[in-house]
Amino acid sequence: MNLAATPLSWNACLSSLRLDRWMMGELDAADAETVGTHVSSCAACSAAVAGIRGVREEVRARPLPAALTRPTPRRRLPGAAVAGIGLALAASLVLVLRAPPATERSKGSGLGLAMFVQHGDDVRRAAPGETVFAGDAVRFAVSTPIPAYVAVLSLDPAGRASVYFPQASRAAEVPAGTEVPLPLGTRLDATTGEERLLGIFCASPVELEPIRLGLERGQDGAPLPADCQGLRWSFVKR
Amino acid sequence: MILDAAAIAGLYRSHGHVVLRRARTLLGSEADAGEALQEIFTALVRNPDAVRSAGSIVGWLYQATTHHCLNQLRKARTGARVLELHVRPGLSESGGPRGEAAAEVRRLLALLPEEVAAAVVYHHLDGMTHAEVAELLGCSRRQVGYLLERAQGLWDRAEKTA
Repeated sequence: MNLAATPLSWNACLSSLRLDRWMMGELDAADAETVGTHVSSCAACSAAVAGIRGVREEVRARPLPAALTRPTPRRRLPGAAVAGIGLALAASLVLVLRAPPATERSKGSGLGLAMFVQHGDDVRRAAPGETVFAGDAVRFAVSTPIPAYVAVLSLDPAGRASVYFPQASRAAEVPAGTEVPLPLGTRLDATTGEERLLGIFCASPVELEPIRLGLERGQDGAPLPADCQGLRWSFVKR
Repeated sequence: MILDAAAIAGLYRSHGHVVLRRARTLLGSEADAGEALQEIFTALVRNPDAVRSAGSIVGWLYQATTHHCLNQLRKARTGARVLELHVRPGLSESGGPRGEAAAEVRRLLALLPEEVAAAVVYHHLDGMTHAEVAELLGCSRRQVGYLLERAQGLWDRAEKTA
């Protein structure tokens, strides 16, 4: 028997590993876009993704194993382990503080913050630094390899900080996935200039007011809570 | 980050399918695949540091599932089930020649050395490139080529002696 042609051989063009990583938000933005474009035009890969999604829904509908429903002593993972499982908190916090301000992905962590803009009838994905217009409707989507507590804050050109998502005092839980749309959209006001965005991904539902105040007081690079990682980028409003 | 039972339960919900789907293919038995899913995540509760050196959760789950399933295929108990599958294929196969051929692949996988079998699983059953296989096995692409070549040789020999 030829090993390449057994009844168990994989039939799609892209490997199951790559498709799984794509679906779980582990690829960087460019690679994710390449995979997404391919899947949308390839019947074999599209069928493979549908199969993966089917099993995912099946697992979600199953009861949890007993061992996962019992409380266990809380253990804090060392930084290296945290980096390994996606939310590279300590290490990436340094990365965020020192990195260029405009990035929609944290390389290697699997975290991502995307913004979609509706201008008139045209809907597009905005890139960091892109120009948008007052009155445009925007909606955010996040990528995270594991469930995380998420919030999106902004610092407008007038120096006012606000929380775009969620409309609550604490970060809201978002399931793992690639570009999971956040349920709230917003319409940009008439203030023109550069608006900074801060997406935070946390292991707990952190209070947002201290973070918002930090932004407003000009502490754009101030440390986030210890169990959070931030992604920062900006757009220009005209 | 705290990785307690609640966090691992979240991982189970979000990533459990990565284990279940591949375990079904590798083991050909719904019951064994369900056991694999439970055991891998339960083991993570006992030892959350297992993910310490992982570059990605998905990659770690691929490694854990492959290791678990190849062990299962080797165990005499599961070996007996595999033989049974020649007669009564698992849920993922429709039976007939295709089901028999699938069971034969599993029987032969159980005969290969672990690293060789893992290379076969990753390359042929998961469709990975040599680079992807090398990443999961922690070896060079050249070594992957050697492992796959060796696998085909062992496979041919095992088929002749079967």
